[in-house]
Amino acid sequence: MRELFHPLDPEQTRREIDEELRFHIDLLTDEHFRRSMSFEDAREAAFVRFGNIEQITDECAQIKRRQHPLIRALKLFLVLVFLSGVVIRILAPEYHVTRVGDVLMAVGFLGRLWLYVRGLVPSSFISKSEESSPLRLRDEVQPSIAVYDLKKQTPVERVIFRK
Amino acid sequence: MANTRTDLMQGTLELLILKTLSRGSMHGYGIAQRIHEAVDDVLKVEDGSLYPALYRMEERGWVSSEWGVSENNRRAKFYKLTRAGRKQLEGEQANWQRISQAVTRILQTA
Repeated sequence: MRELFHPLDPEQTRREIDEELRFHIDLLTDEHFRRSMSFEDAREAAFVRFGNIEQITDECAQIKRRQHPLIRALKLFLVLVFLSGVVIRILAPEYHVTRVGDVLMAVGFLGRLWLYVRGLVPSSFISKSEESSPLRLRDEVQPSIAVYDLKKQTPVERVIFRK
Repeated sequence: MANTRTDLMQGTLELLILKTLSRGSMHGYGIAQRIHEAVDDVLKVEDGSLYPALYRMEERGWVSSEWGVSENNRRAKFYKLTRAGRKQLEGEQANWQRISQAVTRILQTA
C-alpha cells in the first residue's frame, strides 16, 4: 500500500536495495572476520567477493522500478489503447472514426516506446541477448585487486593482472 | 593460445537459484552460500550478481520476496519460489539435461 502512495520514489527503492545488499556484505565480512582476518581486511575481502556494489544497486533499482504497480498498470493500459485502436480501425465504417483508431494506435505505440526509452520495459522485451551470464569458469578468472574507499564502502578502482 | 570463452550458457545462474530456492525460502546471502558450497571449485560467482538475477526473476513471477527477520535477528529479504518458478525449474532442468546429453553424445562420437 505504501508503495502506491509513494509512486516511483527512487530514494525509497534505493534505501531498500541498499539495506538488502548491506546485510549480505555484513554477513560476508563476519565470515571473513571469523577466519581471523582484521576487520578492514575482512571488509575489503567481502567487497571483492560481492562485486561492484554501485553498479548492482543501479541495476536492481532499474528492475524494481519496472515492477511498480503503476508502471504495470500503465503498460497494460497502453496495450489496451493500442488494441482498441486496431479494432476501431478495422471495424469503423466512416473515415473520421478510423482517424480516432489511428490516434489510439499511435498513443499506444508511442507510450510503449517512451517506456522503453525510460528503461521501464525490460530489455528482454526487445532482445534477451543483452543479458550476459555473470558466471565464470574458475580457471578463467583474472586475478585482480580491488581498491576500496573504506569510509564510503565503495570500490574506487580494480587492478587486473593480465596473463 | 586457445580462445577462452568465459560466459556460460544464459540462464545458468537463474537455474542454480531456482534449484537452490526449491529447498525453501532463503535470503540472498543464504542462496549465495549454497551455490558456493556446490560449485565453488569450478565456477566463480560474484555474490552481487545474484541480486539483479533475483530481481529479474521476481519481475517474471518466478520468485516472490518478503522482508523478515534473519537468524541473527536482522531485517532481511527472503525469496521463495512461486508456482510459476517451480514450473520454470522443471522446464529448465529438462532442457539442461537434454542439451548436456546432446553435447556429451557429440563429444563422444566426433
